[in-house]
Amino acid sequence: MKHDNDHRSLDPLLARHIQREPETFDFEKWAETHPDEARLLRDGYKDTGRSAKTKPYEIWRFIMESKVTRYSAAAVIVLAMTLVLLSPFGTPGNGGVVLADVQQKVAGIETMIIRGTKTFTRPGKDGDVFEFDGFKGEFDLVKYISKQYGLVEKGYVKDKLIYRITFNHPKRQTLVVLPPWKKYVTFTSTDKVVQLLENLTPEGIVNLLMAGDYKELGQDSINGVETEVFGFQNSEAFIGLSPKTLFDIQNLKGRVWIGIKEQLPVLVEGDMVIGKCFMSMFNELNLHEVNTFGDYNIELDEDIFDTNPPEGYTELTLSDILQVIPIEAKTGLAGPGLIPAGFVVWKRRRRKKAAIHPS
Amino acid sequence: MTDLEDQNLVQRALEAGPESFGELCRRYYPSLVAVADSILLDHHLAEDAAQEALAAACRQLPKLKKPERFGPWTVAICRNVAKDMLRGLQRQRKPVEVCRGHDCDGEQDDDQKAILADALQQLPQHLREVLYLRFYNEMSYRQMAKVLGATEQVIDGRIRRAKKKLAVCLKKAGFRR
Repeated sequence: MKHDNDHRSLDPLLARHIQREPETFDFEKWAETHPDEARLLRDGYKDTGRSAKTKPYEIWRFIMESKVTRYSAAAVIVLAMTLVLLSPFGTPGNGGVVLADVQQKVAGIETMIIRGTKTFTRPGKDGDVFEFDGFKGEFDLVKYISKQYGLVEKGYVKDKLIYRITFNHPKRQTLVVLPPWKKYVTFTSTDKVVQLLENLTPEGIVNLLMAGDYKELGQDSINGVETEVFGFQNSEAFIGLSPKTLFDIQNLKGRVWIGIKEQLPVLVEGDMVIGKCFMSMFNELNLHEVNTFGDYNIELDEDIFDTNPPEGYTELTLSDILQVIPIEAKTGLAGPGLIPAGFVVWKRRRRKKAAIHPS
Repeated sequence: MTDLEDQNLVQRALEAGPESFGELCRRYYPSLVAVADSILLDHHLAEDAAQEALAAACRQLPKLKKPERFGPWTVAICRNVAKDMLRGLQRQRKPVEVCRGHDCDGEQDDDQKAILADALQQLPQHLREVLYLRFYNEMSYRQMAKVLGATEQVIDGRIRRAKKKLAVCLKKAGFRR
């Protein structure tokens, strides 16, 4: 190895040009100029978020602990990840755009409304949109985000509301409503769930992106707004964020358009390849999401973030979920121990019996 | 400088161990300065960027999923901090004054230095980065591989490509050896 003989004559030249005295790091001085960080190191990270010891599988196990809410809780967290992942808070912007300025501006935003689309497709088949229980996985989105109250995402198909997810931050409560099925799920966000969600805060996401690589893709005009475009791909931090059983992001790439004058995101587009996992109901899928921004710091009524179940709705149960999952998927669920294998077999038998003895 | 040691130091730092974080800083600071310098082409700014990167790493330490990869993780943060600083400077229309080599004291071979500096600037950032790491503190391929989270073969390939491109640029610019 080390076949750099070809241009060895460059070595002394480069050494003269680049070489420096060995750098020494004065930790005491650094600690003086970075008092907050020094305090963190001195006092420990106990109260500042997820401990390094918290492994994804521990979070997964925790989520799955509650018999009533375990599946829905997992699904909600996964949806939240997608939701926040592509929110303007999660932009890796830079350019004539300066990331620090964008971060600062984003941090100053109290509320916003985002509109966009979310499309699940099957890999390798262009335009073959994934269908689930008679609904095409092609949603029009509206997201309401409030620093004070929390976060709401509504998914529509042809103006019909298919789902609404509400995270009420002060109440530490989450509600998922599925109008076509008149079902809901609600649960209290436990400390660990909150911690996981806190990692997905604007600051957290920007920091995660800062830890990854992004590319400048040049300038573009979006509806007359001059923007700089940035591409990001395979951010290890994102991909490693969730347990694979829950949300297996195998590939992630996206682009973000940031207004040069406004120093704020205008558009975010993301593509994810999702492996067989709970989120994709054990199908391999592609997810394409586009979010357009415009309404910043507008007044959002607290009621939007209400997490009381609507009247006439009943609670979603495990049986409800299993009814709409194909057999292969159930087997997939049983594989990693997410549901007891016997349950799948029992369901299969019941179907077989029904087929043999139709009443 | 083993992975295990880095891992242990990260764990200790998370358990209120400033000395451990200090040790990690001392370990990677020279590499961070070299990486930042390859972007900013200014030693003093590079030092600032490296220190800011360490501050960011400190804040985000609980989010580091693979403590044994503290080096590459911090380098990635540093790269972004340096790029951001560069853009900030460009935006303020205060372009970084490129220091041609060790000192800008107008030695007689200034022209040659300028040609070399320009040629280095023309290299893609990831190739310039390996040259800076290699020649800044005379890092070994092994050390570089650890810092960049790559294999020694990858580092070797990058250095060869960087030198090849550099040689072409220098030849075009009429550089005399």
